[in-house]
Amino acid sequence: MDLISGPLDDRHLALGATMGPFGGWSMPISYPGGTVAEHTAVRAAVGVFDVSHLGKLQVSGPGAAEFVNSCLTADLARIGPGQAQYTLCCTESGGVVDDLIAYLDGPDSVLLVPNAANSAEVLALLRAAAPAGITITDRHRDLAVLAVQGPRSAELFATMFAGFGGIADLDYMAFTEAGSVRVCRTGYTGEHGYELLVPWEQAAGIWDGLLAGAASLGGVPCGLGARDTLRTEMGYPLHGQDLSPDITPVQAGSSWAVGWSKPAFWGRAALLAEKEAGPTRRLRGLRATGRGVPRAGMTVLRDGEAVGVTTSGTFSPSLKTGVALALIDTDAQVRVDDVLSVDVRGRGLEVVVAKPPFVPSHVR
Amino acid sequence: MTEQTPEDLRYTEAHEWVRTLESGRVRVGITDHAQSQLGDVVFVELPDVGAEFAAGDALGEVESTKSVSDIYAPVGGTVVEVNTALEGTPELINSSAYGEGWLLELEPTEDGAAAVAALLDAAGYRELTAGA
Repeated sequence: MDLISGPLDDRHLALGATMGPFGGWSMPISYPGGTVAEHTAVRAAVGVFDVSHLGKLQVSGPGAAEFVNSCLTADLARIGPGQAQYTLCCTESGGVVDDLIAYLDGPDSVLLVPNAANSAEVLALLRAAAPAGITITDRHRDLAVLAVQGPRSAELFATMFAGFGGIADLDYMAFTEAGSVRVCRTGYTGEHGYELLVPWEQAAGIWDGLLAGAASLGGVPCGLGARDTLRTEMGYPLHGQDLSPDITPVQAGSSWAVGWSKPAFWGRAALLAEKEAGPTRRLRGLRATGRGVPRAGMTVLRDGEAVGVTTSGTFSPSLKTGVALALIDTDAQVRVDDVLSVDVRGRGLEVVVAKPPFVPSHVR
Repeated sequence: MTEQTPEDLRYTEAHEWVRTLESGRVRVGITDHAQSQLGDVVFVELPDVGAEFAAGDALGEVESTKSVSDIYAPVGGTVVEVNTALEGTPELINSSAYGEGWLLELEPTEDGAAAVAALLDAAGYRELTAGA
């Protein structure tokens, strides 16, 4: 399958990026400075990410918001127009088809941003369920998505969008329009930050402006490698690893993104039953105390007995140690601060059970 | 970011470099190409001094934020020295793959000179990585 190129391909190549396949798209994994330097720039200053591979599905028509609310897990009635929400698209058995951001324009318009790899499936499910009058438009290649993350991102925005007063001061998960660019106070790094939805043909100009502004603040362009180490340090799940059709939000600790009192959403009966009975496994954080890096798919042991499996794992540039998320059997009654072991290619890596985030969150 | 492949070294298909020292020992590291593919190196696992390896044996690991790679013995021999600086500063492999980021030194078992001569020269290694 040919990879899809985003609107900033030439920019990434000129910067010397290492490109890699991501959900069918060719995206920057890192720039020559390397993942650790990019990660550190986001924690200390500001980083600019191209995440244009993310899906964009426009749901329109009378009662569009109500329709979305009857499908996806989070309660869209809890936010108002101009606000965004993290939500889940579940199967009837409670597994997760995708996690996504819903931008609420108003009762008749919602923009959904799913993961690249799952966009087509979410689109198909919504179209199949949509009543007459509701249309779902795939805008995957109409809009670029840029993320600007880090403690100095507000400074960057105050300058860059000076003509649009107050953008830098948006509330968490609120969005507004700056001309044809939509700016939302959200992100996937644990830092104060913004994500921008930019018309495809304007993406290069906005990218150039953001990079120039970021450079003067000690910021750098960042690839998906840093996005992964940053999100893992926060314990944010990644669909396909920590959330999947086989891993429910109750197991993954994402129950907060489920509107339990809603009368209807996909997977409601199964999820309510699982919540009632208690999940048989639960996503936990693990912090390595020994040398080594846990990776996804490794067995977690206690006293030599398997108690779970890692779903994500990486080296934490902030902590300078390995960190992981792992599905741990409830029966094992594992608690925070318990010492476990991860089978890293036949060697036992000692880890401590920790409650994520592994480093403090600064999103608000 | 042109990758460096010094002319005075020998190379393996597993992306190690080998430098024959005046003592007859060989110093081993990973190539600039290898470190560039790996990305930021965060841990290096090296064998103990005195350990013996046949050519092609896995003798350690280099782990980056992205992935982990085995290091193979380019020639047979006994480990006579390891670069202990890598324990605290594994990033030396990224900043100086052919210098301060060296991994270890081997005392070749027998006919080390011939074994080293049989490895790829710089032109051969460049050819190997040209398509990568």
